[in-house]
Amino acid sequence: MNVKQCYKLLFFILLIPTLSSCFEIIEEINMRNNGTGDVVLTINLSQSKTKVASVMLLDSVQGYKVPSKQKIQQELAEAVAYLKKSEGISNVKSTSDFTNYIATISFTFKEVSNINNITRNILARQKIKATNTSSYSYNKATKTFARRYQAVTTAKSEFNKLKNQDKAVFNGAMYTSIYRFESPVTNVTNPASNLSKTKKAVMLKSSITNLINGKINVSNQIQLSK
Amino acid sequence: MFPIKYNYQNKMKKLLFALALLFFSIQNYAQDLAKKIPANAFTVATIKGDNVFKLMFVKDFNESFVGKKLLTETSKSLDKNFTSIEDFGINLEKNMYYFNQLSDSITYNCFLIPIKDATKFESLINDKEKKFTLDGETRTMILPDSTSIIKWNNNMMYFVTGSIKSSFFADSLKSAKYGIKDLRYQGSDVLTDSATIVTDSTYVTTEEPMVETVIAPPVVKAKVQKKSAKKKVSSKKKAGKKKTAVKRKKVKLAEQIDVDDYAVKDSVGMDAYATDPDQYDEYQKEKAEQDAKTKALTLVWISAQADKIFNTNYESIESNKSYNSSLDKNAIAEVWVSSLQDVYNSISPEFGTYGKAGLMKGYGSLTAKLFMDDKSFRISTGLELAKDQADSYKKIMNRKINKKFLNYVDSEKAIGFMGYAIDTKAYLEEFPKLMQQTYGSFLGGRMDEEISLGTDLFTLLLDEEAVSKVVKGDALFIINGLNTRDVTYTAYEYDEDYNQTEVTKTKKETMPDFLFMFSSEDHRLMNKLIKYGVNKQRVSVDNNIYKIEEKKSPVDIYFMIKDNIVFFGNSLTEMKSISNNNFRANISKTHKSLLSKNNFSFLFNAKNLVGKVPDQEFGGEETAKKFNETLGKMGNVYMKSNPIKGNLVSADISAEIPNGHENALKYLFTLIENASK
Repeated sequence: MNVKQCYKLLFFILLIPTLSSCFEIIEEINMRNNGTGDVVLTINLSQSKTKVASVMLLDSVQGYKVPSKQKIQQELAEAVAYLKKSEGISNVKSTSDFTNYIATISFTFKEVSNINNITRNILARQKIKATNTSSYSYNKATKTFARRYQAVTTAKSEFNKLKNQDKAVFNGAMYTSIYRFESPVTNVTNPASNLSKTKKAVMLKSSITNLINGKINVSNQIQLSK
Repeated sequence: MFPIKYNYQNKMKKLLFALALLFFSIQNYAQDLAKKIPANAFTVATIKGDNVFKLMFVKDFNESFVGKKLLTETSKSLDKNFTSIEDFGINLEKNMYYFNQLSDSITYNCFLIPIKDATKFESLINDKEKKFTLDGETRTMILPDSTSIIKWNNNMMYFVTGSIKSSFFADSLKSAKYGIKDLRYQGSDVLTDSATIVTDSTYVTTEEPMVETVIAPPVVKAKVQKKSAKKKVSSKKKAGKKKTAVKRKKVKLAEQIDVDDYAVKDSVGMDAYATDPDQYDEYQKEKAEQDAKTKALTLVWISAQADKIFNTNYESIESNKSYNSSLDKNAIAEVWVSSLQDVYNSISPEFGTYGKAGLMKGYGSLTAKLFMDDKSFRISTGLELAKDQADSYKKIMNRKINKKFLNYVDSEKAIGFMGYAIDTKAYLEEFPKLMQQTYGSFLGGRMDEEISLGTDLFTLLLDEEAVSKVVKGDALFIINGLNTRDVTYTAYEYDEDYNQTEVTKTKKETMPDFLFMFSSEDHRLMNKLIKYGVNKQRVSVDNNIYKIEEKKSPVDIYFMIKDNIVFFGNSLTEMKSISNNNFRANISKTHKSLLSKNNFSFLFNAKNLVGKVPDQEFGGEETAKKFNETLGKMGNVYMKSNPIKGNLVSADISAEIPNGHENALKYLFTLIENASK
């Protein structure tokens, strides 16, 4: 047994029993009254960093190829380059921390609808089918911010086709969306969302499995005071 | 398919056979069928009925899930009502055999099943369409695809299926001998046709060579071929049959030859097929014809082979020393492969040029035996080596694991370990020899001098003695249990306005503590390496414990040298206690002998994992419960190599069965039942 094999064996043992891991995806939108705003997307795997670090040392795990650090950085750079070319998008930045396994992308938009097709296009470029149809709109006249979200039924059936051990990867994974505004919020339509004390921010938390299974809908219509 | 003519000789033979049969049945009701396996069988697999049904009575089997399933399914498909496997007419107290015979032209796959009640057995296979022929006591049935035959009498059932090797008939000279063409798109068919005619004519005109070619062909080894003389009679009748077919063909082929100049056609043949659909149809038709011929030849060969098994006496596998010594009266099932070297050589022509190399040179017979008892399953495997090779391995294996290693095995907590011991010095000395044996032929005979030069150079460059002092050749990898440690991670907190702040939190993570150790007497090289590592800031040091500074690694790895042992591990606490001589561990007697008596040993003790991993690591209570249940049911799994005996290297794998099960076979049946639920 050479050193590399020994190492692999060790990390295989570390990975027992499953790859169940905690990670979170955070979507923040700071809306200004004039309709412009900023977006910060964060994926945080630091709670599972031991496992991620172990996985990163393997070529593939449970039949899936593990991307290298270089590959991840390259993909991120491609996403940034794509964003920079997109209409109404500026100030694009990205960070990646391979000690704590946290990556972010942030940018500024002229209108919130500018971001509607971005996620889907980025995913499409990676040959990943979008799991939902999602769109944002902001009506300056009525001061209404809306997020429309529809879980794609195929996503649920595809997910259910996965082996239990693969599904377990998503156990404990969380999705958080935070929308911040300059004016106070007077009404929200989604009962699962929370309004901050200052009434200027709306937060919605959900487990990723509930999102995929369509048990939770993150659609929301937020009315700001006029 | 072949009308059987009786003649005087045949009758005599039958009579003798019947007498012999009578004699045997008086002497020993249902003799062991191993006597019927030819001495040149390549693989022999045995299921030992008596040992199987000692563990599980026939009644229990019938009532088991598997038994019920088998009985109902067979009843359904045959429209009968079977209530016991005894209804199948098979003698369950005797051994059942599978064997195969290989040659360059055909492979025979054969089963020998002891019969207790032939009438019951016939009810299994006898329905309206499947008719069988009767020849005295012997019944023969040709299966619909005519590449398999079932033959049986009151004592045994023989099933043989033959598959002709296409590589054999790719050689036009050989295939022509049997009137078979090697068809190719290139249209070289006419050329082979002419060859066919030449041989065909020998079929018709000369008697003797024909007997040789029709009957003896499939079996490669000389022993059996010698006996083919006995069978002239039956071969004649087949040859006679062939005659008519051949005559018809000859006329047809003669016409073709008249029209076509094959030399010309040969060069344009390919184009013709490509452009002319008629030509292609013709090709397809021809191909079907040739396939039918190959099938017919298969049937001739397997019929002859089956006749031989039933009607003649020949040297049986029982005369094979290697086979005999492989037998174990306690095994449930056994597999014996005559010689890896021969297996390789027999299939190697299909690998092309590289195949000729004889990579398996020096590797003899291979055996695997399955044992089941009230405590465990055990598979024991053995491989015979050529004397030189065995001697080399004996020298290499002449080392036991360092006794001091045993101080660090905690049997109460250990989840698993793997130990091995070889003599590095012997290994380095024998390595070139082994390489030469294996790869010498691979590179072709002409490279012998170069290889010998290379191996000398290797010996010259390496000081085996010196290397063996740095790495003596014994090592132990052990996981002494799981430990929980605090791990920090990044999370976010939100204020009244849901503004995000990054915070560092800690959580408990359970990880196995591993310890790896190997013996080393000469630390100079290690020390130089450590010094280099420290200078390059790849290694940090605290007292005598070193830490590898590798950012990529998800766990910290420490190492140290103590008592001529190099230790690696991921637990600083363990390292410190080893360093301070207060490492507490108790090794059990079984583990001690497993590690210290064998060159290689492995243990996995699943029970020690039960309940040690926090539920959240599994992603939920439910998964954790299932996992713990499965682990709790698992017994110890062991692997070990045995000392070399004579020229035989062997190894055992065994798995203990959990408490509450009568024996391993019954446990296996419960496992199958549970899995199919």
